[in-house]
Amino acid sequence: MYLQTLLLRRLLQSVSPTWLPCRWLGGGEMSPSKLVRHWQSIFHDHGVPEPQESSEILIAHALGSKTFPSLPPSVAHTSVSVAQLRHIESMAQQRLKRVPIQYVIGEWDFLDITLQMRPPVFIPRPETEELVGLVLGASRRLQCSAEPLVLEVGCGSGAVSLSLLQRLPQARITAIDKTKAAVKLTEDNAVSLGLQNQIQVLLLDILADPPDPLLMWGPVDVLVSNPPYISTSDISQLDPEIVKYEDHAALDGGPDGMDVIRGILSFAPRLLKPGGDIFLEVDPSHPERIKLWIQDHTDTHLQYISTVQDFCGRSRFVHLRRD
Amino acid sequence: MKPLQCIGQWRKCIFHFHSAITFIPLRKAKTSCFTGPFNSGLLLPNVLSALQRLGDHPRRSYLQNTCTLWECEIFQNYLQSLSKEHERLTEMLGQTSVREDDRRSASRRHSELSRLIGLLRDIKETEQDVRELELMCADNREEGQMLALALEEKNTLKQNINKLRGKLLQALLPHEKYDMNDAVLEVTSGRTTGGDICQQFTKEIFDMYQNYAYYKSWSFEILNYSPAEYGGLHHAAARISGEGVYKRLKYEGGTHRVQRIPEVGLSSRMQRIHTGTMTVIVLPQPDEVEVKIDSKDLRIDTFRSKGAGGQHVNTTDSAVRIVHIPTGIAVECQQERSQIANKEKALRILRMRLYEQTVEQELLERRSARKLQVGTRAQSERIRTYNFTQDRLTDHRIHYEVRNIKEFLNGEELLDDLIQKLQESADTEAILELIENYSVTHGK
Repeated sequence: MYLQTLLLRRLLQSVSPTWLPCRWLGGGEMSPSKLVRHWQSIFHDHGVPEPQESSEILIAHALGSKTFPSLPPSVAHTSVSVAQLRHIESMAQQRLKRVPIQYVIGEWDFLDITLQMRPPVFIPRPETEELVGLVLGASRRLQCSAEPLVLEVGCGSGAVSLSLLQRLPQARITAIDKTKAAVKLTEDNAVSLGLQNQIQVLLLDILADPPDPLLMWGPVDVLVSNPPYISTSDISQLDPEIVKYEDHAALDGGPDGMDVIRGILSFAPRLLKPGGDIFLEVDPSHPERIKLWIQDHTDTHLQYISTVQDFCGRSRFVHLRRD
Repeated sequence: MKPLQCIGQWRKCIFHFHSAITFIPLRKAKTSCFTGPFNSGLLLPNVLSALQRLGDHPRRSYLQNTCTLWECEIFQNYLQSLSKEHERLTEMLGQTSVREDDRRSASRRHSELSRLIGLLRDIKETEQDVRELELMCADNREEGQMLALALEEKNTLKQNINKLRGKLLQALLPHEKYDMNDAVLEVTSGRTTGGDICQQFTKEIFDMYQNYAYYKSWSFEILNYSPAEYGGLHHAAARISGEGVYKRLKYEGGTHRVQRIPEVGLSSRMQRIHTGTMTVIVLPQPDEVEVKIDSKDLRIDTFRSKGAGGQHVNTTDSAVRIVHIPTGIAVECQQERSQIANKEKALRILRMRLYEQTVEQELLERRSARKLQVGTRAQSERIRTYNFTQDRLTDHRIHYEVRNIKEFLNGEELLDDLIQKLQESADTEAILELIENYSVTHGK
């Protein structure tokens, strides 16, 4: 791993920051699709993963679209302006340093909402989009109560809470995170989506801080979380995008990846209304362990409802309910 | 062979209405496929005589408006017989001895006709007013101011007549089931040698429709997009929504042919004229697709299928591919940054594909029942040639030519004009067919 990083550094040093644009800046017309091929080959040569996707997204972003195929034909056929070229160039330089594309362009989509993305706050993964669907579909209390209360532990960019709120206009959500950057980002995203009146975002570590502030609105109907679930030993194996730029606090779940999960399960009975649901995104090895943990901790009054598979068929979500 | 030739013209003749209400026979008078097994007994004497009149000047060009549909004998006869039928039904409904179910069907037909007859009466009354005005103008030559007023009045009335005639024709036209629906437009590049010319052409055509959607203020949502080398396009699909999209686009389905000397790509090495093709498929999108899909029948592939997934990976490739195992239909979507959005879109396309099979069958049956020249034809037929070397575009169905291909490909007025012409031709065909069917069933 160290060697790889070293090699990567050397490669990057060989890319002079002024050399790349000079090769074609003076060359006149540059169409968006030529530009995509240009950066794609550079990304490819420097071992940047998803070279084509990266190149397309950067260029589409600089030209005002979300994806390359959705560029309006008028834009796709005009040559790129010098200012846009500079913008693309500076973004591409970051990408060459393996900055995740979502941080480079500063935003990403989650379900149908667009969220601001800022390092080092965890970038939501596509699996988590299904967690939202699961919460909406499987929670009885959410469907029948007039003003449901939801608690999200580890809100990150606010993706889960905000997309839930968008579908549940009557709901109120308390979202907590243990890092300031995440709390701030969730608040910012709530404001830009106009949902700030339905959400309170608190800086709180469920493993260390007393949970009293969480009961300000009383016990909740649903507790949802995408807690850090990667085991500490696995962290160093991840791609540089994740290791170098994303907050390890949002990824590292301790020796077996279950530290925060156990924390949530221990507190849950105090926070949940009777019959309230818990939905967790977990590692595929966790559902069995969670079942065992519940058997050992009958005092928590938790009932294991189901394991739900993600779109790749992995046991990714766990549904529990308080008796 | 006179009657047989006439049948050929029957198929080829083009009426014009809406604003102009004109009626134009085409250059090509005879088509071999109609000279064979067709039986002249199909057409009735009055229809035949009207058509024979058309056959007398078969080489008239598109723009020379000679005879209006309105003045056409068969059309007037048709209107007259509708009036008579209306009178007969009114009389019948007034009698008490009619059986209940007869009465029901008669009153339905009666109310249908009443609307037409009402319009017809309005037209006649307005025509009468015009005649009176004309007489008045002839009498009062001395009063300049009055004359100007009368002329103005006459013009307004004439405009009204045109409007009413348009309304009547629209009311006469058979209602097409999917006309007001949204549509899905798919483009596929042909597979001739030197495929890159087809792929580039496919891209140009797709862009043309995208621009046309902007031009018509329709929404254009790309469902699928597979680019090819040298800036070409293998295949793409888009959902177009707006008012009457399918009605407007349905005549675009078919094979489009290109002839040009390629500028880029492999085929550009040989500087000669290449011919390529691409196909356009336009299918109506139902308002609510009611196709049930069992999730067990689906195989969903994503870029994340390999490896650990979840928090372990951060990928931006959100493409989704869904295979419907029982039918083997595979759909792919990569337009959105959200994977779920792509999956939902792909599922929508899949539902649409499954639904398409039904619709296609239905349209096919209707087509063979109607034998229309222009109408929605089999999607594989060649409909248009874009000859770049001569800067000439020809629509083979109505023998319509456009000179400025580049402007046409912008998807604005030129395309809109052609679509309008196709629409009018198809409407006229539909009316003629209606008259024919009416004559046959009513035995007159």
